[in-house]
Amino acid sequence: MPLSFLGNPLTLALLVLALAIAGYALARGRAMARAGGDARKLHSLPNYYGMTAAMFAAVPALGVLVIWLLTQPMMIQNAILPMLPVAAVGERGTDSLILSDVNRVAEGLNIAVAQGVLDPQSIAALREDPSTLRKTLAGVGVALGSDVEPFVLAAAERARDLDARWDMIRAGVVILIALAGLLLAVRAADPAFRARNVVERGIMALLITAASLAILTTVGIVLSMVFESLNFFSQHPWQDFFLGGSWAPNFRGNSELSILPLLWGTLYISFIALLVAVPIGLFAAIYLSEYAGSKMRAIAKPLLEILAGIPTIVYGLFALLTVGPFLVDVFGAGGALSMEGLRDGDPLMSGATAVITAGLVMGIMLIPFVSSLSDDIINAVPQSLRDGSYGLGATPSETIRNVVLPAALPGIVGAILLAASRAIGETMIVVLGAGAIARFSGNPFEAMTTITTRIVSQLTGDTDFASPETLVAFALGLTLFILTLGLNVIALYIVRTYREQYE
Amino acid sequence: MQDIPQTSEAPVASTSKISAKGVQVYYGDNHAIKDVDVEIEDKTVTAFIGPSGCGKSTFLRCINRMNDTIDICRVQGQILIDGEDIYDPAVDPVQLRAKVGMVFQKPNPFPKSIYDNVAYGPRIHGLARNKAELDEIVEKALRRGAIWNEVKDRLQAPGTGLSGGQQQRLCIARAIATEPEVLLMDEPCSALDPIATAQVEELIDELRQNYSVVIVTHSMQQAARVSQRTAFFHLGNLVEFGDTDKIFTTPEDPRTESYITGRIG
Repeated sequence: MPLSFLGNPLTLALLVLALAIAGYALARGRAMARAGGDARKLHSLPNYYGMTAAMFAAVPALGVLVIWLLTQPMMIQNAILPMLPVAAVGERGTDSLILSDVNRVAEGLNIAVAQGVLDPQSIAALREDPSTLRKTLAGVGVALGSDVEPFVLAAAERARDLDARWDMIRAGVVILIALAGLLLAVRAADPAFRARNVVERGIMALLITAASLAILTTVGIVLSMVFESLNFFSQHPWQDFFLGGSWAPNFRGNSELSILPLLWGTLYISFIALLVAVPIGLFAAIYLSEYAGSKMRAIAKPLLEILAGIPTIVYGLFALLTVGPFLVDVFGAGGALSMEGLRDGDPLMSGATAVITAGLVMGIMLIPFVSSLSDDIINAVPQSLRDGSYGLGATPSETIRNVVLPAALPGIVGAILLAASRAIGETMIVVLGAGAIARFSGNPFEAMTTITTRIVSQLTGDTDFASPETLVAFALGLTLFILTLGLNVIALYIVRTYREQYE
Repeated sequence: MQDIPQTSEAPVASTSKISAKGVQVYYGDNHAIKDVDVEIEDKTVTAFIGPSGCGKSTFLRCINRMNDTIDICRVQGQILIDGEDIYDPAVDPVQLRAKVGMVFQKPNPFPKSIYDNVAYGPRIHGLARNKAELDEIVEKALRRGAIWNEVKDRLQAPGTGLSGGQQQRLCIARAIATEPEVLLMDEPCSALDPIATAQVEELIDELRQNYSVVIVTHSMQQAARVSQRTAFFHLGNLVEFGDTDKIFTTPEDPRTESYITGRIG
């Protein structure tokens, strides 16, 4: 087929763009010609006429192309589904396996034909006995899991036919739409036409699309989590998940999957992290905003913010290789503070991975977060309040304690909540630093595990994707999401109320 | 007119409370105050007038060393309060500010209760031995600030909830509560409506009995109404300093006359 190159969506998109560029030149030229070559007689600058035509040619056509690309595989699947044997289709899970087989065979045939290994006649010859097909396709780089059944080959051929036909229809429709848009805009290119306003509306539409994509993605994430979580709860009792006391996934089934021990580990580590980050971050912010001179500030602030740029996996390595072993030296067997005497020879800390290790390192990670937010909030306290306090003979520290901090308190609480939600969602530091044992314990020198760590380990195993042991990850993720979302909403609400106070 | 001796003028106490000699102030490279000499008497209201940017607020802020909080500001020369040089290294600026109270242009009550606002200074400086004494100090300050009757039933309400005029009188009461000897006011009425302005002006007149008051103002009528002595600043220079009546009726310097008649400024 001479026009088969049009079936390639990339070629088609390039063609549409070429049409758009042609439209730009045509519309601009036409507008200029109708104004008698005098751009001042046009309502808009000549470029706007060109842009309008380019926009009309490209945007609807490309939009249709994208939607078509997304729907065509689904349509083809629906078309070949009746061709499959009823027995295979009835069962959930099996039909999707057969469909993926069909797709792979179709893809393999495409490649084989393109490389000249097969041609339509040889494919037709295979119809009765396609057993040699597996080997042929393996030769062109498409590995199949089993020998090809005749009905699979038939379905694959049908899929190829439909695909090729619809590719051509798609090309025709898209080019027609592009041409129609182009003609419409070029015909409208006239001195009285308000091309500038049309372009303005086009830009607004672009911006709205970007904004709604961001929001829709969030909605999509939540929905996918919700569906998988519902799937999990249909296979596992919710009472065990929310109220049970132990986390013991068992790959042969009958697991105990309770979030509570994980939640305890998460909150305990986050608490220690905040215990480290809040005082240090807050004091650093007070120093930077109230005491430091402008030169000191210019050096210290960026240095502190470098901490925020370190990838969390590097913090995790720091926890695993430096902080953990150091803590073991001090609190572990033979260490100065191991308390072995008091604990019948049992040292306080037995391994490098522990709540305290992860908590300390996560606290260090959060310092710049707390300090930079607090710094902004402290700077938002009006200078007139400080002047009032200094004018009454207060020292800087009295002013901070009695006037600045109380005024900034709601904002600082908001900053701490934001830091807490980051601590709860943090993954890499706890994967490397906290250990993997789910338990309720008050001893910060013991290894514990968190929600994020368990999500990683449940999804990276070899288990069946439909088992509750895997699906629990989604329920855990959803719970985590709701937890941090709640904290963020409260924090943002507090920060915003505070900001309005000193308008 | 000029021959008539000015006998109607309020008798001015002969003792000088604040004495400034050769004061220079620099903001970075900008020479903001140029060689200012001024003698401010006790139990008198002294007004600083002059066009915007003439240095009157800057000079006011030198008197309680508030300029120390600005990094780029340098002060030279001598300012004596009761014969003591306030820029002497032995002087603690924090202690000085307790003795020289200040009221700012915009009312700036702390986001605390009315009571805590007034009790702030006494608490920092340990002026009260117990709660009863503190209550007494707060009540006395609020009475002197002419706001006691309006707030006595809601001392625990936030100070920021008061009207602008009430807030400014609260700030005056707050400054009085530390028992200062001098009260500096930086355009205290510029953010207030005429009624609140009249109340504050009346209060300033009463405060004269106990304190030496220095007020910076943009309103020449206000300077004429509340002050006994007036200093006119122009471009960082002290152009003329004398009895208010004289400055406003028979100014000696042509620049003063131009300013009060509205030709410059």
